[in-house]
Amino acid sequence: MQYLLSVIHDGPSPAVEEEQAAIDAFNQQMKDDGYWVFAGGLGMPTNATVVDNRGGDAVITDGPFVETKEFLVGFWIVEAPDLDVALELATEGSKACNRKIEVRPFL
Amino acid sequence: MVASLTRRFGDLDVAEEAAAEAFAIAVERWPVDGAPPNPGAWLTTTANRKAIDRIRREAKRTGKHEEAEMLHDPEPPAPLGAVEDERLRLIFTCCHPALALESRVALTLRMVGGLTVPEIARAFLVQESAMGQRITRAKAKIKAAGIPYRVPAAKDLPVRVSGVLAVLYLVFNEGYLATDPAADPVRAELTAEAIRLTRVLHGLLSEDGEVAGLLALMLLTDARRPARVSPSGELVALEEQDRSAWDVELIAEGHRLVRERLAAARAGVAPGRYQILAAINAVHTSARDARDTDWSQVVALYDRLARLDRSPVVALNRAVAVAELDGPDVGLAAVDGLTSALSGYHPFHAARADLLRRLDRLDEARAAYERAIELAGNSAEIAALARRRDRLAPGRP
Repeated sequence: MQYLLSVIHDGPSPAVEEEQAAIDAFNQQMKDDGYWVFAGGLGMPTNATVVDNRGGDAVITDGPFVETKEFLVGFWIVEAPDLDVALELATEGSKACNRKIEVRPFL
Repeated sequence: MVASLTRRFGDLDVAEEAAAEAFAIAVERWPVDGAPPNPGAWLTTTANRKAIDRIRREAKRTGKHEEAEMLHDPEPPAPLGAVEDERLRLIFTCCHPALALESRVALTLRMVGGLTVPEIARAFLVQESAMGQRITRAKAKIKAAGIPYRVPAAKDLPVRVSGVLAVLYLVFNEGYLATDPAADPVRAELTAEAIRLTRVLHGLLSEDGEVAGLLALMLLTDARRPARVSPSGELVALEEQDRSAWDVELIAEGHRLVRERLAAARAGVAPGRYQILAAINAVHTSARDARDTDWSQVVALYDRLARLDRSPVVALNRAVAVAELDGPDVGLAAVDGLTSALSGYHPFHAARADLLRRLDRLDEARAAYERAIELAGNSAEIAALARRRDRLAPGRP
């Protein structure tokens, strides 16, 4: 199964240097162990743009689609045999990036 | 058509029934509505639908084991870990921390304990429909999120245990005081199952004080079962029970476990709620006569429990003990303070009724017994409450 590990951030500052080093080490470990699918860090929500083309006339607006104190700041996509393994990866990932992680299965 | 249905559904009976049903509908409808443009395709589609309906119906009817299997893809189960017990594997899956605590308990009662949704709803004091949804959502999450069907690794065992204990205690309680009026008032198969599973868990985690505490609590409670229902089918209150009918072996085993936990507590291990409840029951089962009960000890233990568990039910039990120690008026004042939290909980009204009776406030006692009878589900308990109500001296008509 594949799981999305969303990194939840609730402050203004991006990852500090030690966090980035820990994340790099964790990424390498996941690749070595065969769990890695993809990962990425995201820009701040203030730099987001929303496009709505449901009505045919694309409407482009500034900002995130919803204003919240907590927001998505990055993610991993992992291949894991079951939720327990995904939760273990999230436990290590949360420590590495020093943030909360939401684990969600892909359909 | 039957062959193609069989290939699709892997079951000859289902295929035959579905085809027959589709033809029956055609015979009924086509003369009235006219035949559809493509009769063959219509028959196949209808038969497919009927087969799916039938499989769904059967899935609902079959036992808990099939239901358990449906939670997972039909791949071979993972090899057993530390616990060589199928039920425990199921319990740990149902008690997975990724599920909300209330869902874990509900799901385990349904899947492992085999209780019905209405029974579980009553055990939790929630609506049946809400409980049904809770269980359905929990099953859906197990499947969609890939919660594994296995006993956790040894290092994860202790943290998974507290949810399992809550579940086992609820199963035990449902057996000890069944909430369904149609069920036997005492369901020994449930109490025995809860004790059996708790013993297995105690064997695995002999260092865990709460597992030992829960086992002791169950043993000391179950020991009183022979004296608990009268020959006429009424529940007999603790103070009125024939103590010579209590099971001395279960009491001895329970007391031994409590003594072990007291020794651990003296060594600095703070006891959890099950150990405190076991100690309270050890006090009760140590008294040869109800009048010999050390109520100050019971109240002290409830004080300790109330610091860990602020639930109004604990406060109610403490108030009942206080009434024995300080008098029914003091107890009643404490009980009345819980009215808003417990007005839908029949033991609250039963406790109030007993205290009002002892204070000679007979009309109020009668009204409180009536309310308790309305809310209670257990037939033996209703009989006992009705008897106590009828024994009240006649008040106003």
